[in-house]
Amino acid sequence: MKIITITINGKEIKLEKAVTVLEAARSAGIKIPTLCYHEQLERYGGCRLCLVEVEKMPRLQTACTLMVTDGMVVRTETEQIADVRRGILEFLLINHPLDCPYCDKAGECDLQDLVERYGPAKGRFKEKKRKVKESLADSAIVRNMERCIMCTRCVRMCEGKQGASAIAVIDRGGHSHIEPFSGGKFDCEYCGNCVSVCPVGAIMSRLHRHSYRPWQVKEQHETVCPYCGVGCTVVAQVRDDVIMRVIPKLGSAVNNGMLCSRGRFGYEFVGSKDRLTVPLIRKNGMLTEATWEEAITLVAKKLSDIKVTFSSQAIAGISSLRCTNEDNYVFQKFMRAAVGTNNIDTTARTGFAGAQGFIENIFGQGATANIISGLANSDTVLVIGGDPTTVNPILGLQIRACARRNGNVLTIGNVEGLRNFNPSKLLPKLQTEVTLLEGIVTALREKKGLPGSNAALEAKIKDITISADEVTRKTGVAETEFLTFVDLLADAATFSLVIGKDIVQSSGGSYKLLLLSAINYLANGRIYLLSERANEQGALDMGCAPDILPGYRPVAYPEFRKKCENVWHTELSDKPGLNLFEMVDAAEQGRLKAVYVMGENPLCNIPDSGRVETAFKKLDFLVVQDIFLTETAKLANVVLPALSWAEKDGTFTNMERRIQRVRKAVHREGMDDWKIIAEISKNMGYNMDYKGAEDVFHEAAKVSPLLRGLTYEDIENGDNIYPYKGEPLRDAMEEIQADRSARSVKSGTLYLKIERPLFHSGTMSTKAPALINIYPEAVARIGAGTAQALSLTEGDVVRVKTKTGSLALFVAIEKNDDNLSVKISNNFEGKSAFRLTDCNLDPVTKAPCLDGIEITIEKVTA
Amino acid sequence: MFNETSIKEIEEIRTKYPNSRAALLPVLYVAQREFGWLSPEAYEAVADLLNVPKATARGVGTFYAMYKQKPMGRHLIQLCTNVSCMILGAEKLVDFLKSKYGIEPGGMSPDGRFSLVIMECIGACGTAPAMLVNDNFYENLDKKNLEEILGKYQ
Repeated sequence: MKIITITINGKEIKLEKAVTVLEAARSAGIKIPTLCYHEQLERYGGCRLCLVEVEKMPRLQTACTLMVTDGMVVRTETEQIADVRRGILEFLLINHPLDCPYCDKAGECDLQDLVERYGPAKGRFKEKKRKVKESLADSAIVRNMERCIMCTRCVRMCEGKQGASAIAVIDRGGHSHIEPFSGGKFDCEYCGNCVSVCPVGAIMSRLHRHSYRPWQVKEQHETVCPYCGVGCTVVAQVRDDVIMRVIPKLGSAVNNGMLCSRGRFGYEFVGSKDRLTVPLIRKNGMLTEATWEEAITLVAKKLSDIKVTFSSQAIAGISSLRCTNEDNYVFQKFMRAAVGTNNIDTTARTGFAGAQGFIENIFGQGATANIISGLANSDTVLVIGGDPTTVNPILGLQIRACARRNGNVLTIGNVEGLRNFNPSKLLPKLQTEVTLLEGIVTALREKKGLPGSNAALEAKIKDITISADEVTRKTGVAETEFLTFVDLLADAATFSLVIGKDIVQSSGGSYKLLLLSAINYLANGRIYLLSERANEQGALDMGCAPDILPGYRPVAYPEFRKKCENVWHTELSDKPGLNLFEMVDAAEQGRLKAVYVMGENPLCNIPDSGRVETAFKKLDFLVVQDIFLTETAKLANVVLPALSWAEKDGTFTNMERRIQRVRKAVHREGMDDWKIIAEISKNMGYNMDYKGAEDVFHEAAKVSPLLRGLTYEDIENGDNIYPYKGEPLRDAMEEIQADRSARSVKSGTLYLKIERPLFHSGTMSTKAPALINIYPEAVARIGAGTAQALSLTEGDVVRVKTKTGSLALFVAIEKNDDNLSVKISNNFEGKSAFRLTDCNLDPVTKAPCLDGIEITIEKVTA
Repeated sequence: MFNETSIKEIEEIRTKYPNSRAALLPVLYVAQREFGWLSPEAYEAVADLLNVPKATARGVGTFYAMYKQKPMGRHLIQLCTNVSCMILGAEKLVDFLKSKYGIEPGGMSPDGRFSLVIMECIGACGTAPAMLVNDNFYENLDKKNLEEILGKYQ
């Protein structure tokens, strides 16, 4: 490799590869001023501030676009350059309002800093400045075009990185300004990444408007976003124990300076007035304020009584996909050691747990632990079962990046968030995915042959034969499209498969997963399983499931039990406990007497919620530990206020199985979830003494082979992913079971579909004002065709009905819909889509089948 | 939405360009003809048909002066007021249009019949004043024949 040597300001710099002069200078610690340059964005060369003198070149050159060549001699600070920079800044200020005393950006404004350094003290232009009204049309983002300097960083971010293309430069010359299509409201993905890159005060967050100055931020804490399973690094900036804003961090491993709407604008739930502050005890039918001592003693006594009167098996625990690994570890230990039951589960049971278990049984443990940024480098990505750009937005960006790099993005079904990227898509008729997938497996096998490394899976693949002709006949997919699609899959060198919950939560889900595993196997790919909750993977890995101990170890194996027993000093049951759905059954039948819920809202998040409600009402004793008085908490006998993500230390494990530190950002009176549990445990006679979260992690690392002696120090910078080196920790199964029975559908009928929106994800987001302003309430989303047929318009109130239940909702009309489904989300209390679904389970993955549920819509007249 | 002839025309245009974004300019012309001006609906229709982001379509459209960003009359008068035309009375014609039809330069007559755009030289200095009405060219204008000509455009 040839070394390139250049000289900047007399300093010799050696470079291994050709970079721009600006990058070379920065690597040597030489500062060159810039405005339009941003390390995340494509080079632009628009602002001209980075002009430098290069020997033997006739004019000044823009350092941000000029590539270095061997022997180049560059000067960055000369009289001539300073003169030019002063001139450029003078031009920029012609139309700049100079309202720094009033502008939130002052103190971290690139323009202010540069004018301070190079700029003219006084402008010579007498003409009037342009006047543009500040746009306050949105709750999250303010647009002030008077301050804009037209660096177009926001547009390049929106188009080139975020892939939303929601804003553009409108008009020309002196009239140019940045605008979303509507001219007012952004109506976009509200990722706020334009806010991150704006060098001046033109596009800013409205959440902290006029509430503080950047220099008043005394502390900032690097932590992990509490929303989805991607686990983005976020920095919480704090003033007087209040989070002022949440910003991303350039160079962080998972999200590298990008955030989504939930991550950036969803933090305000932490300071919500609705937060629970004191324990509540039901007295005479009413939840009444109580002391911690009262509440803890009562819970301990009640649980002990039920244990004696009935048995340990009459008690169950539902743990949280939002709580830290430490909370979850202590919770399952409490259930197993203090209560003495394996009746513990989480809502991961509604899809993720079963799907991951199924895939790991085929490929070995860790099969779904793949690096998210790897998606961008795949040459082919297949997306099925949902829209990754709404469920896991930052993962979605990697798929968009793949498309931008001319990778092949394939989808089965419509994926709205990828529409701008023209994916190759197949749209099979309702309930014919199985035939389509079987067709793909057949074609791939014929084209590529069997690799011969997985006997159990190949045994299944050999049985599958569906011709292209049959695919066309049954699924309605044109043969040429099908064949092109298969060719792309067969030619893939680096293949990734992204599986969403719609596939997992469908009848025949396990068989579809088998077929997808087969496709992945034949195309030699990696599987990404979308995860809606920040610590879904972590809760499972901590053993919050009825059949596994920490580290995904089956309770039935004596040697694993022994290991836990030695550390926990107690005897453990070898029988798997009740899973989430069995708990509901048992409660309904009166076999279950008490349920302890930590950080979960089963009434919103378990399908057939109406039945869950009835069942929970039959319980003798319900404890809910949460940060808000949820629907479930309202039924409880005791409600315990917990600390939120921003108020505690701990760890989250993301879908890559990356263990990352959650750091306390603000202080609040109260106890960590694990601490409350430990106190109750102590009162029940089983001592749990931890000095802090780190102490808990230390013990978990002793018990769980997945953590293998890790310490907080090891995971400090967030690059710790297990299983180490991708080695499977648990072997694949010798025989694969799958169930292919699919619900039948008829034409001319509408079906319910679970909406998984970008802006909401359960209780937390619905308590975040910025997100509520964007997506205020539960709606029934229908296609324009359906709306027309039923003569419904946006905002009409309708009653939607299924066999299981009914809800009154507002109508929202979607332009690009299929007109076969009505989409409702399960984020809003009392209006959860799960009130409308039954809860039939796939016999293998135990995930509920939420497809083929007929739904009717009727307009409600006022 | 576009009518079928326009959709065919757009598909034809589309084949002449390497990608749909490159076809934006000619397709925006079709939209302008169809919708009269580049209304939000027109931009959306173009964006949908070409599968380009609608903000991008609007960004491109607003850059060029010959795309109309506000409602236009049924007929577009483009009158030259450059040197030759001005000397031979074009400005009086502007006044006449204002008093007779109520059209301001850059504006539209109240009945929505005409829009007026002041043009730079249209190469008819020898026969000034001159104008275009839609795609038709007229020269040697005075108040009388101007009124006559406009009478043809209802």
